[in-house]
Amino acid sequence: MVVPVSYYLALSVALFALGVIGVLIRRNVLVILMCIEMMLNAVNLAFIGFADYFKAVDGQMFVFFVMTVAAAEVAVGLALIVAIFRNRATVYVDEFNILKW
Amino acid sequence: MQIIFFILAGVALVTGGLVVFQRHPLRSALWLIVNFFAVAGIYLLAHAEFIAAIQVIVYAGAIMVLFLFVIMLLNLREPEAEAKFMHLGQKVGGIILAVFTVLLLIYGVMQVVLPPGKAAPPGLGNTESIARLLFTDYLLPFEVTSVLLLVAIVGAVVLAKSKLK
Amino acid sequence: MLINYLPILIYMLIAVGLLGVIVLLSELLGKKTHTVQKDIPYECGMDPIGDARSRYTVRFYIIAMFFIVFDIEAIFLYPWGVVFKPLGWFGLVEMGVFIAILAVGLAYVWGKGALEWE
Repeated sequence: MVVPVSYYLALSVALFALGVIGVLIRRNVLVILMCIEMMLNAVNLAFIGFADYFKAVDGQMFVFFVMTVAAAEVAVGLALIVAIFRNRATVYVDEFNILKW
Repeated sequence: MQIIFFILAGVALVTGGLVVFQRHPLRSALWLIVNFFAVAGIYLLAHAEFIAAIQVIVYAGAIMVLFLFVIMLLNLREPEAEAKFMHLGQKVGGIILAVFTVLLLIYGVMQVVLPPGKAAPPGLGNTESIARLLFTDYLLPFEVTSVLLLVAIVGAVVLAKSKLK
Repeated sequence: MLINYLPILIYMLIAVGLLGVIVLLSELLGKKTHTVQKDIPYECGMDPIGDARSRYTVRFYIIAMFFIVFDIEAIFLYPWGVVFKPLGWFGLVEMGVFIAILAVGLAYVWGKGALEWE
C-alpha cells in the first residue's frame, strides 16, 4: 500500500498553483512572501516524492539545501519589507512603485 | 497508508487555500503553520524522517516566528484593504494564469516516462545516510551554505539596523 | 515503521481535543456577565493606557533573524553528530570551517551592537 509517486506530484502541483494564485492576487507583500514559501514547499514535496521513488537520498539532500536558502531568503526579504515600510509606511505591493519615488 | 496521505493532503490543500484567500495576514500566517505540519507528515510517509523533523523545526518553528514578529512589528491589524489602483481584472487574470500554470505543469509531468522504482536499500532516509552524503559528495555545497548564511546575517542587519540609531 | 509515530499522533490528537473540550465547556457552562468595569483589561487597578496591541520594536525581528540563522547551523550539526566517529578528523575540520565562517557573522553582529537591547 505504498503511495505512488504521481500522488506526490499531484499534491505538489496543486500547492504550487495555490502559491501562484496567492502571489498574483494578493496585495500584502507579507502574504506574497508566505505564498512563495508555500511554493518552495511544493517543490520540496516533489523532491521528496522522487527521492522515495528512486530510493536515493540525493532528493532529500536538495530539500535540505532548499530549506537553508529559504531561511536566508526570509531573513533578508523580511528585512527589506521592514526597510520599505519605514520609507513608505505601506505593505501593499501596488503602492511600492519605487521607480516613481 | 494512502488514507493517511489523502487526509494529510486534504489538510495541506485546505489550509493552503485559507492562507491565500484569508484577508488577515496574521491568520494567513497561522494557517501556513498548519500547512507546514501537514507537509511534514507527508514527508514522514515518504520515508524522510529527518527532513520531516527539519521541516517542523525550521519552517514551523523559526521562519513562521519571524513572520509573526514582522506582522506584529508592522502592526497590521486591519484586513487587507481593497486596492486603489488595481482593478478586479487582476484577480481574475491571476487565477486564470495560475490555472494555466497548472495545466502546463501537468502537461510537463505527463511527458516524463519514469523508470520503474528500485527495491529499498536498508535504512534509507534516516539521519545517518543523509549525513554520509552531506559530508562526502555534498561537501562543497555544505561549506558554501555557511557563506550564504553569513551574507544573510550581514544583509539583514544592515537593512534592519541602518535607521535604528 | 510508520507505526513508530503513532504516539505522536495520539499526543497531538489529545492536545487538540483537550483544548477544544476546555474552550467548548467553558463557553457552554460558564456564566457570562458583561459590564463596562469587567471588560476592562486588568492593569494593577489602574485605568489602562492605550491599546494592548501596540507596535513591537524591531529588536524582536533582529533576534528572531539570528535565531533562524543559528537554528540552521544547529540543524547541520545533527547529521554531523551522527557520523562523527566514522568521519574522524576530516569531519571535524569540515565542521570547524563551517562554524568559523558563521562565527565571523556572529562577531560582525556583536561588533555592530545588534545584540544589545537598550
